[in-house]
Amino acid sequence: MTRPLRWILGLVVAAGLLLGGALLIPFGDWLPGGTVANVPNQEVVNGTAFNRLFPAPVAGEQLLFSQEKRGFSEARLRRGGELVALLAISDTTTAPEAREKFGSSQNAVAGWPLVEQGSQASALLVGGRFQVKVIGQGDGLDLQARHELLESFDLTALARLRPSLSTVSARKAPATPAPAAIGSAPALAS
Amino acid sequence: MGRTVLERLDRLPRRDLTVLALKGLSTLVPGGWTNITNADQLIQDVIGDTDPALVARIRARADQLSRARAEGYGRALSLYDAVNRSQHAAGGLRVLANLSAGLPLLKRLADVTPPGDTLQAVDLSLKVGSELLAFTQVNGLPGDSFGDFGAALADYAGEARVRMAALICFDALLPLGDQALQKLDSLLGAANRKDLNRLPAYRQMAGLIPGRSDDAHLSFLRRGVDQWLGWAGGFVGELGLTAQGTVQAVESTLGPWQGRMDQFAAFLDAFTDTYAHTGVQAVARRLVERATAEV
Repeated sequence: MTRPLRWILGLVVAAGLLLGGALLIPFGDWLPGGTVANVPNQEVVNGTAFNRLFPAPVAGEQLLFSQEKRGFSEARLRRGGELVALLAISDTTTAPEAREKFGSSQNAVAGWPLVEQGSQASALLVGGRFQVKVIGQGDGLDLQARHELLESFDLTALARLRPSLSTVSARKAPATPAPAAIGSAPALAS
Repeated sequence: MGRTVLERLDRLPRRDLTVLALKGLSTLVPGGWTNITNADQLIQDVIGDTDPALVARIRARADQLSRARAEGYGRALSLYDAVNRSQHAAGGLRVLANLSAGLPLLKRLADVTPPGDTLQAVDLSLKVGSELLAFTQVNGLPGDSFGDFGAALADYAGEARVRMAALICFDALLPLGDQALQKLDSLLGAANRKDLNRLPAYRQMAGLIPGRSDDAHLSFLRRGVDQWLGWAGGFVGELGLTAQGTVQAVESTLGPWQGRMDQFAAFLDAFTDTYAHTGVQAVARRLVERATAEV
């Protein structure tokens, strides 16, 4: 191969790569990967497993699920169409700093440490891992009402949840004894 | 790495054509619309408290979530941007065609570009389709059943009422007339691959729509629109939305318009970003809700 031809070929390849890269720039967000805090997805409990642990709405109330991701599930509590509170369960594996505030907690609901954040949010740390939160919306909820809502989650079942590779086995997971210590690596597919 | 969702919220315009058009339109929607362009204010609104340390923690968590590609918040915004660019391009061409129709030499341009009702219908279906895709990127598939998912979608649409009203009024009623929603299905039925490929946004979105061919994409869009039509029909009936009412509402903030309604639609398409503007606000709210629950 002659020298000019090699140069031309090289330039064509380089230009092609550059052009291809430039075309992909708008799709950067759609590349796979990029989990929260770079924690692998398998170590985080899927939000689907949280859904059945939310409190059952009483008469006059509606519970509408509004967001479900890895390690997070959120529902809106409405009374007569009016938004009353946001209810959420999250896996603190991707946010270890969220557990720190419970260290100095003096109060408890159903035996789990309780923390108030501002005037409208109550948070509960269940099993040293799952954060259950009630955030009053609109006119707001008083302390008592928020704590009653926290209590009506299925906290015992939540404390037993462990990450699993599929959501189906998470649902059928047999009862495991005491919750694992905070910060220990979650047991995978034991 | 691009800007995070909250950075983009902070950079939204406080007063421009887009904001004025939305302000005008919001007079038709009970509950109105506030133009939220301040992330800290949004966070305080969600948590119901103004503690600066708490707000800063929530903001840091929201930025972390929005940088994680797998969480989809950034993806939803890139969808809105693609649709917005396409809307500008198509609207600009239509405005140009309208202007040049009066000039003999440039008449050819008008003959080439007038987008028929079909093209307008495909454009609307693309917007509705990307709305559905963006919803699943932002909210996942909430609930355990299809009924839960449908309820979540309806609830979301109810919260983003002005956003939905803008979609219905600016992209359906103005260009297609008051019977737009009833006509839409037959218009889409007449649409073919050529119409789809004429839209700039389609080329960018094609890879994201389920299905491997143009025809498969077209049928996905039709099914998406069918789902949406039922809800939108109720919405239009409930609020009594009409093309004439839309023009009057927007005239209250933008000033009088002397022209045809489809020209007004082309003008709005070319010079406003209502879809991306309200999109950033809707995504930011869901993101802040999640960050608030996780800190």
